[in-house]
Amino acid sequence: MTMMIRMYIHKYFGSLHVLKGVSLEVTKGEIVAIIGPSGSGKSTLLRCMNQLERIDQGFIEIEGIVVEAAGDIDVKITATSQEVRATYRKMGMVFQSFNLFPHMTALGNVMEAPISVNKVTKAAAVQIAEKQLAKVGLLDKKDAFPSKLSGGQKQRVAIARALAMNPDIMLFDEPTSALDPELVGEVLSVIKKLAQEHMTMLIVTHEMGFAKEIADRVIFMDEGEILEDSVPKEFFENPRHPRIKTFLEKML
Amino acid sequence: MMDHMEYILNILPFILSGLKLTAKIYVATLVIALPLGLLAAIGKVSGSQFIKKVLFLYTWIWRGTPLLLQLFFMFYGLPVIGIRLSPFAAATITYALNYGAYLTEIFRGGIESIDKGQYEAAKALGMSYAQTMRRIIIPQTVRRVLPTTCSEAVNLVKDTALLAVLGMPDLLRIATQIFTRDFNITPFVVAFVLYLIISSVLVKLFGKLEKMYSIYE
Repeated sequence: MTMMIRMYIHKYFGSLHVLKGVSLEVTKGEIVAIIGPSGSGKSTLLRCMNQLERIDQGFIEIEGIVVEAAGDIDVKITATSQEVRATYRKMGMVFQSFNLFPHMTALGNVMEAPISVNKVTKAAAVQIAEKQLAKVGLLDKKDAFPSKLSGGQKQRVAIARALAMNPDIMLFDEPTSALDPELVGEVLSVIKKLAQEHMTMLIVTHEMGFAKEIADRVIFMDEGEILEDSVPKEFFENPRHPRIKTFLEKML
Repeated sequence: MMDHMEYILNILPFILSGLKLTAKIYVATLVIALPLGLLAAIGKVSGSQFIKKVLFLYTWIWRGTPLLLQLFFMFYGLPVIGIRLSPFAAATITYALNYGAYLTEIFRGGIESIDKGQYEAAKALGMSYAQTMRRIIIPQTVRRVLPTTCSEAVNLVKDTALLAVLGMPDLLRIATQIFTRDFNITPFVVAFVLYLIISSVLVKLFGKLEKMYSIYE
């Protein structure tokens, strides 16, 4: 099995130790749900992987290439900065707050990175963008600006935007937390579609049913540590840690 | 009444020649001050510590002292230390630096008001910082600062009247000269109306721009 991600991370916000030596390995095609109470470091973990936060100690390896190494650690970055950038580009990210570019149409949002980062022609970018919008079921909204879209539609455009860069790994940071309950389903079904295509995914979520259904592994984080890392069936039916039991009881 | 119209038509060519100078300096000032303000704002947001310090001094001095004093300095101060500029150059440079300083702060505020999620989304897509600024942040900033920029543009019309104090034959100066010559208040009324027309046209123009930029809201 190809290793997609290996990492070991310490992260501080000031004097607050938010990630206390979190180790994680993810193989190709694996779908990992990361759950846990707020403030447990789930989002920070995801954000560290994509360089939105810098790690204080540890390393991050993506597809065999060390992209980040910090502090007292044996791992070194051997790749050129160009290779490192190219490797980061293999990860797409979807945010809780969508972060669509408000001054661009849905199509423009999806076209932007292929044009400015991958330097494809405009015509090629239109093709890519239309294909991805069709995939999330929003081709008919391609000319709409984000302000005219519902939350669920916005998030689906955001997913299309990330997919347009042809990522090997998708990071989802609470993709449905900002949505009205009736809009959650459409976003989850797009993610399920990606799961059927064996996209490697890390999903921070509060949707327990979804995690149970889609994930190959469930990781439970609390106070900056991974308390449990197991298959969904075992996790939900027979959690080892008492803190997980309390958490699950509160969620259900 | 007929006499009155005839008098106005008589003095109008002179007044319009003053208006021409006003317009020239006005346009030259904006052509320099707008890019200057934008660049300096980007420098203030993302420049090195050194650049930030230099820009702090720039806006601190030019916003913190009277425009008229700045004009006096350029017109009468610089020649003392051996720098001789044409009146047109001295005026344009002073206005451009003064308005550039105000626009710097307006644009900086605009840039800083953009949600940081926009930077994160761009970064996650692999866009460089420069690409992010050019494609994502600045276009949104322009929309946000249009109303304040509009009032600066209108202020500048009125501030050009300070040229009269320096003896430059601008709209107000010419009107004043005719007033002294004929001891007739009409040239002032004409100037009054002309200033008002220019300001109104500007406000209309910016309103159109705002509408154009608002399609995504």
